[in-house]
Amino acid sequence: MGDDLRGLMFQLIDGTISSEDFKRLQDAIESSDDVRKEYLRIVNLGESLTEIANEPNALAASPERDAPTNSGRPRISIDTFAVDLNSWGKTVAASNANASGLAASAFGSGGDLRRWDLRSPGLLIAAAAVLMFVSGIGFWFGQQNESRPIDVATGGDGDAREISEPQIAGHATLRRVVDLRWSKDAAAYHEGDVLPDGLFQFEAGVAEIDFFCGASLIVEGPAKLDVKSDWSVRMLEGRLRANVPPAARGFKVLAADAEVIDLGTEFALEVQADNARIEVIDGEVELRGGTHNGDHLLTGQKQWLKGGQDNAVSLQSLSTIDDVQRRCNDAQAERFAQWKAASLRLRVDQRLIAYYPIAETQFERTVRNSAASGGNFDGQLVGPVNRTTGRFGVESSGLEFDRPGARLRTRIDGEFEAFTFACWVQIDSLDHRYNALFMGDGYENGEPHWQIRDDGCLMFSVMVDDTQDVRHFNGIDQQVVRDAGLHRVYYTEPIWDVAKSGQWFHLAAVYDPNGRTVRQYVNGDQVSREEIIEKFHIKSLRIGAAEIGNWGQPFRQTPWFSVRNLNGTIDELAIFNATLTSEEIHALYEQGKPLGY
Amino acid sequence: MEREEKQTETAAEREQRYNEFVGLLARHDQSIRRFVRLLLPSRDGVDDVMQETALECWKKFADFTPDAPEKTVEEFIRWACVVARYKALSWQRDKGRDRLVFRENVIELLSVAAMSDLDVRELERQAVEVCLSKMQDDQRRLVLSVYAPGQSIALIAAETGEQARRLYSRLNALRKLLLDCVRQQLAEELGNG
Repeated sequence: MGDDLRGLMFQLIDGTISSEDFKRLQDAIESSDDVRKEYLRIVNLGESLTEIANEPNALAASPERDAPTNSGRPRISIDTFAVDLNSWGKTVAASNANASGLAASAFGSGGDLRRWDLRSPGLLIAAAAVLMFVSGIGFWFGQQNESRPIDVATGGDGDAREISEPQIAGHATLRRVVDLRWSKDAAAYHEGDVLPDGLFQFEAGVAEIDFFCGASLIVEGPAKLDVKSDWSVRMLEGRLRANVPPAARGFKVLAADAEVIDLGTEFALEVQADNARIEVIDGEVELRGGTHNGDHLLTGQKQWLKGGQDNAVSLQSLSTIDDVQRRCNDAQAERFAQWKAASLRLRVDQRLIAYYPIAETQFERTVRNSAASGGNFDGQLVGPVNRTTGRFGVESSGLEFDRPGARLRTRIDGEFEAFTFACWVQIDSLDHRYNALFMGDGYENGEPHWQIRDDGCLMFSVMVDDTQDVRHFNGIDQQVVRDAGLHRVYYTEPIWDVAKSGQWFHLAAVYDPNGRTVRQYVNGDQVSREEIIEKFHIKSLRIGAAEIGNWGQPFRQTPWFSVRNLNGTIDELAIFNATLTSEEIHALYEQGKPLGY
Repeated sequence: MEREEKQTETAAEREQRYNEFVGLLARHDQSIRRFVRLLLPSRDGVDDVMQETALECWKKFADFTPDAPEKTVEEFIRWACVVARYKALSWQRDKGRDRLVFRENVIELLSVAAMSDLDVRELERQAVEVCLSKMQDDQRRLVLSVYAPGQSIALIAAETGEQARRLYSRLNALRKLLLDCVRQQLAEELGNG
């Protein structure tokens, strides 16, 4: 058969054939069985290619496709019927409207079909088959020009690690808050928290919320919002200013019975019990629903979405990002000053062993021990420790230990009766099995280890007898492990997960050999309390060479060292030779908490 | 009394029959659809004809009496294809004024040819996959992209800046290559079988 004729067939398939050629082709088909056979082959080739092109990854570079067998296709069996879903997927039809038409008329013309499947449980299989038929047809019609369903038989790439990939539920981040007072019975959040869907409510103050799509809202209280998705929020009460960069175009605020769709840049919205209004500060919004459905508002234009009055004050007066920034800075500065005053009072506490108010320190390699009780226990930065922003904003500093070589070394000689450790820490992630807060170098008798396990549990321990070779059952590893020395680790429940990344925490641990208890605190609240049993009792405590934010093992016998640097920031740490009460620890938290806590 | 019993019997039979019908149609609609496609000059109308065919098959399912139980599937497909041919003819008759409609004789001849090797179509489809995998990446991409949803030679030409005419002749050469390969594959398969 000539290329000429074949060309006509391709033209017919591609929809480019002329009437004259179409007639010629039909003549040829009528005249020869071979032409007919070739025509069928060519049409079928086109259908096959369409099916293959519709498969996911059909255009991927590698030709390593599964061997073409039927076994690779998903089959669902219902009793004796095996319904090849894929064949539904491959078959193509007009539309879902047609589909329901077919389903309905199939049943209609079939007489009593629709009633059968409901009449008795004995017809379950029939019912299932009917469902398959209906859903199958729906699927079948819906599949036109769409990719095939996921191939359940091969189940994707089969990367087992993906299963444990951490996930956080949420749609926005609470970026900044100023003078915020939370409503009673409403969820309270911290700066940096991820906001889930649902109500977000406060009585007074200003909150800046960054939606994941890129839109950012400045909301003035009293306010009540219902977060719907990365792209939409319902404003139930309050005033907001929405800033919508190009990436977030289409961001939607629902207010009264209307949807406000931002087509770019900035608008303000006020919702009260009786009225709601919008004003475009810059750019364009579209209104949908309600009485103004389809209206577009441009820069400077206002519209009542509900109610209305003539003498309303312009919404231009709403806080801008700059206002919030300024107010935030002012409030930060005030908070910072309050903390400094409290910190000065703390320094003269005679119970202090060492005190590092890193937040107020300058860019030096030495971190002074500011405790008035003296002792040359200054710390020295070693390795790539970053000076970064502390918990009172850019005016304050913090030390970041996010690289394995980063450490703050100190040496604290002396013998102590008790320990209270307290610090402010911002955890970016718990990258290692153990993540150091404060670690005695050698972990010799009486020396403390304070760290966080990768599952978010706080750990505090003191070496009791480093000459013993102890074996114990480790619950995490589900096996007996060998421990160098007799000690006991006191754990809390997990206090941190990745959703809390970047938040500041006040952590404290009280080791009380006299009272034979170990207490641990998070943000001023006690989270665990455990007895020190006789076996693990030790009266004489020491520290010696130690590190903040890492674990130094300078006397180890091998070049290998454990990686325990903290991927996070510490901006204050105090060590007392005493057991602080819960009230005192709570007071430390109150005096030192950053804005928005 | 007697009548009532008879009705109950009919309902039960019907239920079973419907069961059977749904199972057969669900499993073999693709074969029937392919057959319909071969009788029509383009994909237009395939959905309509399939829909009509499915309804007609159900209406007449009582008349479907396979000679031998082990041949039920084969006979069902043939039987449904006969119905489909009839529906394709009448669909074309309704669309008679359209330019691209086959003459009835062409449809009849094509249906005879298609009926004679119904089972070959699926083998061909499998062979196409094998043949594609033997192609060079860019060749395969060109062939498939023409058939990908929403694509056309004109679009690809606009995207790549290549002349549509040149693309078209490359595509036709590749399609011919594929046809030859498929033919060879099937010959091998039949030979091995």
